[in-house]
Amino acid sequence: MVTAVLAALAVAAIVFSYTFPLERYLPAAIVTARQVDDLIRFMSATGSALYIFVAGYLVYFAIAFRAKASDAPDAIGVQIHDNRKLEFWWTVIPLIFVIILSVVSVRIWYEILLEPENGLVVEAIGHQFYFSFRYPQINGEVTDEMHLPLGVPVTLNLTSADVIHGFWVPAMRLKNDTVPGLVTTIRFTPRLAGRYPIICTQFCGVEHSEMDKQVLVIEDKPSFDRWYKGWQQKNARVSNALPGVAGQAIPLQGGDVAAGKALFSQKCTACHKLAPFSQTLVGPGLEAVLHDPAHPDLVNGKAANPADVASILENGYTGSMGAMPSASSNGLSPQDIANLVAFLNTLK
Amino acid sequence: MSVAAIGADAHGHVDQLYVETRELRLQGFLLFLVSDCVLFSSFIFAYLYLRNSGQGWPPPGIQRLDVAFAAWNSVVLFGSGATMHYALENFKHGNFIRYMWFLLATIVLGAGFLGGQAFEYNHLIFGEHVTWGGSGIFGASFFTLTGMHGLHVFFGVCYLTVLVLQSAAGVYTKGKFFGITAGTLYWHFVDVIWVVLFSIFYLI
Amino acid sequence: MAVAAVHSGGIAGHIHPEPQGFVRRYVFSLDHKIIGIQYIITAFVFFMLSGLLAEAIRTQLLNPNGGFVAPGTYNEVYSVHGSAMVWLVIIPLLTGGFGNLVFPLQIGARDVAFPWLNMLSFWIFPVAGLMLFSSFLMGAPTAGWMEYPPISLQGAAGTSMWCAAIFLVGVSSTITGINFVVTILKMRAPGMTFTRMPLFVWGQFATAPLLMIATTALAAALAALFIERQFGVPFFDPTKGGSPVMWQHMFWFYSHPAVYIMILPAFGIISEVLPTFARKPVFGYKLIAFSSMAIALLGFMVWAHHMFTSGLAPFLQLPFMILTYIIGVPTGIKIFSWTATLFGGKIHYSTAMLFAIGFIGLFTIGGITGIFLAAIPFDLHVHGTYFIVAHLHYVLVGGSLMGVFAGMYYWFPKMSGRLLNETLGKIHFWLFFIGFNCTFLPMHWLGMLGMPREVATYDPQFTFWNRFESVASYLMTFAILIFFVNVLWSIRNGRRSGPNPWGARTLEWQIPSPPHYYNFKHIPTVYGLPYDFSQPLPYKGLEEELTDSPPPVAAGAH
Repeated sequence: MVTAVLAALAVAAIVFSYTFPLERYLPAAIVTARQVDDLIRFMSATGSALYIFVAGYLVYFAIAFRAKASDAPDAIGVQIHDNRKLEFWWTVIPLIFVIILSVVSVRIWYEILLEPENGLVVEAIGHQFYFSFRYPQINGEVTDEMHLPLGVPVTLNLTSADVIHGFWVPAMRLKNDTVPGLVTTIRFTPRLAGRYPIICTQFCGVEHSEMDKQVLVIEDKPSFDRWYKGWQQKNARVSNALPGVAGQAIPLQGGDVAAGKALFSQKCTACHKLAPFSQTLVGPGLEAVLHDPAHPDLVNGKAANPADVASILENGYTGSMGAMPSASSNGLSPQDIANLVAFLNTLK
Repeated sequence: MSVAAIGADAHGHVDQLYVETRELRLQGFLLFLVSDCVLFSSFIFAYLYLRNSGQGWPPPGIQRLDVAFAAWNSVVLFGSGATMHYALENFKHGNFIRYMWFLLATIVLGAGFLGGQAFEYNHLIFGEHVTWGGSGIFGASFFTLTGMHGLHVFFGVCYLTVLVLQSAAGVYTKGKFFGITAGTLYWHFVDVIWVVLFSIFYLI
Repeated sequence: MAVAAVHSGGIAGHIHPEPQGFVRRYVFSLDHKIIGIQYIITAFVFFMLSGLLAEAIRTQLLNPNGGFVAPGTYNEVYSVHGSAMVWLVIIPLLTGGFGNLVFPLQIGARDVAFPWLNMLSFWIFPVAGLMLFSSFLMGAPTAGWMEYPPISLQGAAGTSMWCAAIFLVGVSSTITGINFVVTILKMRAPGMTFTRMPLFVWGQFATAPLLMIATTALAAALAALFIERQFGVPFFDPTKGGSPVMWQHMFWFYSHPAVYIMILPAFGIISEVLPTFARKPVFGYKLIAFSSMAIALLGFMVWAHHMFTSGLAPFLQLPFMILTYIIGVPTGIKIFSWTATLFGGKIHYSTAMLFAIGFIGLFTIGGITGIFLAAIPFDLHVHGTYFIVAHLHYVLVGGSLMGVFAGMYYWFPKMSGRLLNETLGKIHFWLFFIGFNCTFLPMHWLGMLGMPREVATYDPQFTFWNRFESVASYLMTFAILIFFVNVLWSIRNGRRSGPNPWGARTLEWQIPSPPHYYNFKHIPTVYGLPYDFSQPLPYKGLEEELTDSPPPVAAGAH
C-alpha cells in the first residue's frame, strides 16, 4: 500500500521532471544547452524518485513504529541486526545507477567537448569589472556587448587581465573561469536569437556583484555582419593594442637583453617553453623563434623579424594556435616589449 | 652486553605503565612524522607543479644548482644519520660513553650540514643574486623547501643538544629511553626528506 | 589486552590525580570531558557571532540593490561567516567537542592518550578564533572561505590574519587527530574489539586520520599564501610565474576531506541516537562502519570536482567525476541502513530523535544534489551559483548542524546531569526545520536560473524568493535563540537526568551523569556489541559504578 503510494508519487515526479518547461524560464541559447537540459531532467527524475522512496519510507516507519501509550515502558523493537540480501541489493542498485549516470553524463559532456573546432574564434578577457572581446578582423577590443551569429560554431578563448573571473551565460548552461596566465577554451554553436546576460561567477573584487550587466547577443548573420562592420569602422584607427601601449613607438633598438630575459621568466613562461617549436604548453616553444629554419614564419603568417614579434607582443594573437593576451593584458610597456624582443633575438 | 627489556629498571622489574605509555608516545610520534611528511609533500607538489607549468628548468636567467657541493653536504647529513643510529644502538647495549661520543658526532655533523647550507645560500644570494622573493618560482620553491628542511635540522640539533644534557644528568636509563628513540626517528626522518629534496632539486 | 586487564586497565585505566582548584579543574583542565565542554561552549560562542553575520547577509539580500552594508563590507561578512562556520564551529564541535566528550567514555578509557596535548589543542582554538574575527579590524578577507588567488593577494591585511588564524586552527585539529587515532588504537577497554566499537567511535576513527593528514596539506597552502602576501615570494601570482590554479589544488585537497571531517562524526551521532530511541539495534552495523572508512578514503581522491571550470584537461576531470559518483554508494548504504533501523522499532520521540530523523531527510537532499554537481555538464552550468550555496548548506546545516543538535539534546545530561527541556526542544526543532527548508530550498532554483553566489546585489527578477529566504532565515535564527534559552535555563533548572535517562546501552550511560573525573571505578570488560536490546548489557565490571564505593586510587602525578 505504502509502496504503491510512493511509486505513484515517484512516477508523478518523473513525469513532472520530464514535462517541466525549463526553457520557458531559461531559454536554451546554444545547441548543447538542450543536452544539459536532458541531463537535468534525467537527474531530477531519478533523484526525486529516489528521494521520494527514502523520505517516504522514513516518514512511514517514523509514524507506523512510534511507541504507543499502550506499550509497556520497557517495550523494545524487533531485534533485527542486518539482512544480507537487502544490503547486497542496496549496494548493487546504487552501483548500477552510478554506471548509468556515468554513461549518460559522459555522453553529454563529450557532445559539449566535441563541438566543431574551426568556427569563429573570439577571445574574451576578464577585467575588473567587465569582459572585453577580441574578434579576428576588429582592431582593439569590443567592450560592451558580445555578438555572435546564429548557427555558426564559435571557439571562445578565455583569459584574464587581472584576477580569476567566471564567464557564465546561464542561457548557454556553460561557463568557464578566466584565469590570468592561462587560456581556456569553450566551444559551442548558437541556436536561438536573443539577448542573454553574461555573469561573472568567481569573486573578483568589490564590484563583483555589478559584473552581470553585459549581454551576449545572438542574431542572424546579416545583423551580425552589420554590427561587425560597425566595430571595424569604429576601431579602424585604434591601434590593435590597448591604452597604455597604443600609439607609443616601441624603441626596438633600445632593447636590453638581460632585462628581457628576466621579464620572460615572469611574463611568458606560463605559456611558452624555451624549447623547440613543437613543445607546446599553451603556446609554442620559443627556442630560436627568430632564427628557426624549420619555422621561418611566425604564427600569424608573417616573416619572423623583430618588428613582427613586437607586433604580436603588442597586440596579442588569436588564431589556429590558440590565443595570447595583448600587451596591455600582460602589463607590458613599450620598453618591456623592446627588451623581450632583444632577448628573443639572442635565442638561436 | 644485552639489550634491557623496555621499561625495566636496574633490577629487571618491568614498569608496565611506562611500557604502555611508551607505546602511545611512539605511535603518536610516528603519526606526527606522518603529518609532517604531508606538509613537505604539499610543498614538493607545489614545486613540481610550478616546475612543470612552463618554462623548462631552471628558468631562464638562473644557473643550474651546484651538485658537487650539495652532494658533499648530503654526505655529511647522511653520515650524521649513521652516527645517530650507532648512538642509539650503543645506548641500548649500555655503552654510555660511546653513545655520548656518537651523539656529539651527530650534532657536529648536523651543524656542519647547516653550515654548508648557509654557505650555499650565501653563494646563491650574494654571488648569483638568486633570492627568495626576487627570483620567481625558482627562488620561492628552492628557498622555502630547503629552508623548511634546514629549520627541521636546526630543531633536531637543538633537541640532540638537550639530549646530551639530559643524558649527562642521567635522565635516561637502560630500560627507559624514549627520548633517544624519538630523537633517532626524527633524525632519520629529516634524512629521508633530504634524500627527496636533493633528488628533485639537484639531480632531475 | 590481557595485560591491560591484569593491570587494572593498563594505560586506559591510568588515573590522573583529581584536579584541585578552579583553574586546574575548569580552565586548564586535562580532563577530556571538561575539554569537550570547553570546545562546545567556545564553538557555540563563535556560532552566535557567525550566525549574526549570516543574518547580515540575508538582510542585505532583502533588496536587489542591497543597501544594508556596503559591497566591500558585505564581502568581508560572508567570507568570515563561511570560514568561521567551517573552522570554528562545525569542525571543533564535532571533533574536539563531542569527540572529546563522548568517545573515550564509549571505549571505556579514563582519558585520551595525550591529555596535555588535548589541552594545548583546545587553547589554540579560541586564540585562533579571536584572530579570525579580529581581522575585521584591519580589513577582513573578502574572497570567500576559499580565498582564491590572485584576488586574495590583493585583499586587505586581514587576509594574512585569516591565513594565520586558519593555520592555527589546523595545528589544533592535527593534534586532536593524532590524539584520537592513538586513543582509539591503544586505549580501548579489554574486549572492545573493532567490531564491538560503538558507531560514534567509528565515526571519529574515520575522521581523525583526515584531520591529521588533510589539515597539514591545508597548512602548507596557507603558509604559501601568507608568505606570498607578506614577503612577495611568488607561488600563485601568474605575473611572476606562479599558478593560481595550484592554490585550488592545494586548497581542495584539504577542503574536500574537510567536508567528511564535518559529516562523518555527525553520521556517528545519528547512528547512536537512532537505535537508542527506536529500541532496536542499528541496522547493518558492519556496513555502516565500513562505509565510513570507505568515504574517508575516497574523500582524498575527488578534490578536483570543485575545479571543473578551472581549465583542467578533460581527461583529468573524468576520473574525478566517476569517483565522486561512487562516493554516493557508501553514503546511500548509510541512509538506507538508518531508514531500515526505524523498521519494527518502538520509536520514542525525544528532541534528539526528531533531529536525527530530520538529519536523514535533509542530508539526503544534500547528498543527491552532490551527485548532480559531480556531473560535469551540470556543474558547468551551476558552479559558482546559489545552487552550490543551497547544496553546501543542506549538507552542513541540514546534515552536520542537525547532527550537532541531536548530539546536544542526547548528551546534554551526560555533560550537566540535567535534561534539556523537551517542549522548548520540539519548538526549536520544528521552527528550525521549517525555517531551514524555506531558506535554502529556493536557492537551488535561483542558482539554476542565473543568480551567482557571493554577490551583494542581484537581478531584480530574483527579489521575491530572496525576500522569502531572508524572512525564513529570521525564523531559523529565532529557533536557535530558543535553543540557547533552553540550554541556559536547563543548566540550572532542568529535570535531573540520573545516569541513563534514555535507556541507552553504550558505556557512557552506565556511569553517573556527569561522570567522575576518573570516568570508571573499574575499567569494564566488553563482551559484545552494545545495540541488542533483547540481551543483557555486554559489560562486566560495572557493578560499583553507581554505588557509593570509594573512588579508585590515583597513581602519582606524572
